[in-house]
Amino acid sequence: MKRTILVTILAIFTATSIHAQKYYTKTGKIYFDATSSSSPEKIEATNRTATCVVDVSSGAIQFAMLMKGFEFERALMQEHFNENYVESHKFPKAEFKGKIKDNHEIDYTKDGTYKAKVKGDLTIHGETKEVEAEGKFVIKGGKITAEAEFSVKLSDFKISIPGLVADKIAKTAKITVSCVLELLKS
Amino acid sequence: MKRKKIIRYIVLPLLVIGAVAAIYIYKEYNRKHKDTARVKADYSLTTTELLNEFAANEKASGEKYMDKVLRVEGAVKDIIKDEKGFYTIALGDTASMSSVRCSIDSTHTNEVISLKKGAILAVKGICTGYTADELLGADVVLVRSVVDSKK
Repeated sequence: MKRTILVTILAIFTATSIHAQKYYTKTGKIYFDATSSSSPEKIEATNRTATCVVDVSSGAIQFAMLMKGFEFERALMQEHFNENYVESHKFPKAEFKGKIKDNHEIDYTKDGTYKAKVKGDLTIHGETKEVEAEGKFVIKGGKITAEAEFSVKLSDFKISIPGLVADKIAKTAKITVSCVLELLKS
Repeated sequence: MKRKKIIRYIVLPLLVIGAVAAIYIYKEYNRKHKDTARVKADYSLTTTELLNEFAANEKASGEKYMDKVLRVEGAVKDIIKDEKGFYTIALGDTASMSSVRCSIDSTHTNEVISLKKGAILAVKGICTGYTADELLGADVVLVRSVVDSKK
């Protein structure tokens, strides 16, 4: 009897712990390209220190990144980005809180590749806007590789580009997300 | 006579100023980030001291350390290498969820390739802020980091 109770408790415990599983990374890569067609040089930067958490049972997905973590090749461009465009001293972080649509169709326990839409609220420069992106989730060897590409209108986030450089910086920035998530051990 | 004077005293200086300005603008425009190994640290402290400061007062610590070159000393908690070969080292106390995350400068990868967990290390990097998350712990993030062997 005792043994049955013990086994039952263990079984319930295991079942619930699988349901509450979260995968994460603290080295997520976010790349953006805001080069306008008439610009002689590339306006692009990469942030390699974004955090991401995915709750595989609910499909909830969250991102957070420090704006100062965006690295540009040119120091001057990086300074302008931080001081004038995204004002990172006022708004140090960018966040995304959303959900993976049709998350139940993804089998996280087996190796496989899935395409799923991700929808949620993106907050940059203190402004929040709903965005939707097509995501690709690759389950392999107990890790999840999450990738997505989407565009954002800079004016939506009150990021104003001065007239002097308006022809170099595109009105829409293309964002590429690439993260390798592993199980968060509690 | 007057024409020569104009050339010598007005046109020539203007040309010189113009040339100096052009060189300055060109250099400033193309300025790349300084190699962190060559920059002197603004602050030198242990990971415990840094994390405690941020935990006590995030706003004041942010104002103090943002964009500054920090030299942090601590134990290697984790070494992460991504698909492109970029390294990130987490320094700190293994008993704590928080750490100082150092994104290693891509030209200094060789300094971290043979690192082992538990090694005591000093890393110099630029502070980009603090990410406090109840699930993931509170981390101070440094970029363009290099291993600092000097004491």
